[in-house]
Amino acid sequence: MRGKNKLLVALAGQPNVGKSTVFNILTGLSQHVGNWPGKTVEKKEGFFISGDTEIKIVDLPGTYSLTAFSEEERVARDFVIKEQPGVIILITNAAALERSLYLLSELLLLGSPVVLGLNMIDVAQEQGIQIDVEALKNFLGIPVVPLVATKNKGLKELISGAVSLVKGELSYNLSLPRVSPDHKEVFDDLLEKVKEHIPQSYPVHWVVTKLMEGDPEVLDMLKKFLPAEKWEKVESLLLKHEDSQLAIVAGRYDWIEDAIRASVSQFKRGQILLTDRLDQVLTRPVFGIPILLGILGIVFVLTYGLGSPLQGLLEWLINSFARWIDPFLYSASAWIRGIIIDGIIGGAGTVLTFLPILLIFFAAMAFLEDVGYMARAAFVMDRFMHIIGLHGKSFLPIFLGFGCNVPAVLGARIIESERAKILTILLTPFVPCTARLAVLALVAAAVFGSSGAIVSWSLVALNILALGIAGMLVSRFFLKGQKMPFIMELPLYHRPNPKTICVVVWNRLKAFIKRAGTVILGFSVFIWIISNIPGATIEESLLGWMGLLIEPLGEPLGLDWKMIVALLGSFVAKENTIAMLGVLYGVGEEGLRNVLPNVMSHASALSFLVVMMLFIPCAATVAVMKQEIGSWKWFLFSFVLMFIVSFGSGLVAYRLALLLGI
Amino acid sequence: MNIDLLPLIALREGEEGLIHFISGGYGLISRLASMGIAPGTQVTVLRNSGGPLLLLTNGTRIAIGKGQSSKIMVCKLKIKKETKPNEGKK
Repeated sequence: MRGKNKLLVALAGQPNVGKSTVFNILTGLSQHVGNWPGKTVEKKEGFFISGDTEIKIVDLPGTYSLTAFSEEERVARDFVIKEQPGVIILITNAAALERSLYLLSELLLLGSPVVLGLNMIDVAQEQGIQIDVEALKNFLGIPVVPLVATKNKGLKELISGAVSLVKGELSYNLSLPRVSPDHKEVFDDLLEKVKEHIPQSYPVHWVVTKLMEGDPEVLDMLKKFLPAEKWEKVESLLLKHEDSQLAIVAGRYDWIEDAIRASVSQFKRGQILLTDRLDQVLTRPVFGIPILLGILGIVFVLTYGLGSPLQGLLEWLINSFARWIDPFLYSASAWIRGIIIDGIIGGAGTVLTFLPILLIFFAAMAFLEDVGYMARAAFVMDRFMHIIGLHGKSFLPIFLGFGCNVPAVLGARIIESERAKILTILLTPFVPCTARLAVLALVAAAVFGSSGAIVSWSLVALNILALGIAGMLVSRFFLKGQKMPFIMELPLYHRPNPKTICVVVWNRLKAFIKRAGTVILGFSVFIWIISNIPGATIEESLLGWMGLLIEPLGEPLGLDWKMIVALLGSFVAKENTIAMLGVLYGVGEEGLRNVLPNVMSHASALSFLVVMMLFIPCAATVAVMKQEIGSWKWFLFSFVLMFIVSFGSGLVAYRLALLLGI
Repeated sequence: MNIDLLPLIALREGEEGLIHFISGGYGLISRLASMGIAPGTQVTVLRNSGGPLLLLTNGTRIAIGKGQSSKIMVCKLKIKKETKPNEGKK
């Protein structure tokens, strides 16, 4: 049979209801991850074939409601209004049904038919919550399907429910939430005034509801479409009934309560949940903070203990590959050989050796996120994050920076407020990533010998200090503005789901690999070229000349032109600094340990390391920073900030070192 | 008879309150409502030790900053002896 039916399904759900588990099971390998056009919100879509129907599933951002409060919520509601999906599948958490139904009360007004997936039925039963599915179905008037997504139970029924609904085989008899009775008149009045002016794609009831809620976007829209004198009447009506937002909210709550009363019975068994027992300890500052530090310490030990040997192995493989391919390139020009061996393999290849370290670090972090621990970490860290003008939610993205700054910057997307998001992104580059830590460890050990470890630890501490001070200053003087509320759900702890963890790790690694293959690759080749023309040695190259030209700038910091060039080269990728130093001092990487102590004084080396740790981040990070910040102003601001901080700290470090005779 | 209203932040750990009103803008009220915190709902304070508060309402645990929790006015409910932290239900 040719000519399949096509169906567009939007998958909606609040955070922590298992929506991504449902999406991953349904779409599997067919899923495509990108951005919503023009937005820094992730868009995931995939396909599922059910009988003769080809279903395209679009995963809406996980949001609690559909206000204009955050970009995610605007994306979700705009999609439903503009694309009019054939069905919306709403995933809810059966163990917290009241809260889950709130999103339903908003979705139903948008016009597309809704199928309710009642997920985590097993968790609810464990807690003594019994849901009468038939009764809920009858009350809501929409199909309701019980699910246990983690065990792949009920998903087939969910999809067939959606398909039958579209085909008109299931009854659909909506009961909509109403505004609380005392405001019914206002609602009808407003409805009468605006209904003929609303653009066709917008459902009238939704617009009036949002109008009464005071939704800024809907207010703007009506101001544009209504004739002036009508708008004035609407405005004065809204002013007179300032409490209409509460009336809408109360209406929804009444509706939810009726639904719950009709279908849910709870047997209080008085058992204390595992989550409560763990939270007793983990959210209490006295225990929670030391435990957090301990867990993060273990993450680092795991990452480097397992990752470093693997990195060595990969490095060996890549070097062997370079040696193997070298003879084949003899016939080609020296140029092509140089670009391939030193530019591509030496530059971008070195970056890829960090994959095992990142893999382990991200897997550990994704594990902690998936079991529900990271929300507790955010909770106990909140009080400290306030010092730097942020709140607990920024802790996760900033901490991810210890792995790689690129996914850390992308991770700042979870923060709703624009201001806090920008500040988080501005501060991320102060977190030393694995690449910078590798350079630090090598150079410090070479120059300072047995005190290398102390120098390394002090410099890491310096970075954290710089992050703190920069955060305090920027939030107080530059990024002022209203403090955004810290409101965050702490999900129930649960068993880790390997599939979810793999997807998260893969997405973060992919961000890194993609950059290595594009930005870093391009810059590696570019740096190789400018260090090889017009003369054959670095001294006679464009890069060398640039170094000599700005050498005076480095003088107060005790940096010679070679170190300056190495810093410039670190812009490509921080790990390239080592290779650059090797080339510049003409020793190759292996001899660096012997040569560095002779060519760098302690004070110069210290200054060099301080600048390297705090300098403008690598090209890949800069590229995503621009993409995520969006505005040139803040992007350039971050550049200037990093430059001043690194240069200033280097200067202070050098002078202090000279003074103290280090 | 007048009811004693307190900001949520004044409740100690283990105490329960019934929310009366929330003084905040469009954003705060709708955000809280969507997470299950609105006038008429009952909350249990699980953690209040200087930092953000941890609340339990209808089976959901919600962390909320000090600033926001001082904008939520509640009437304190008498604590029953057998109250368990997992029972935010009415």
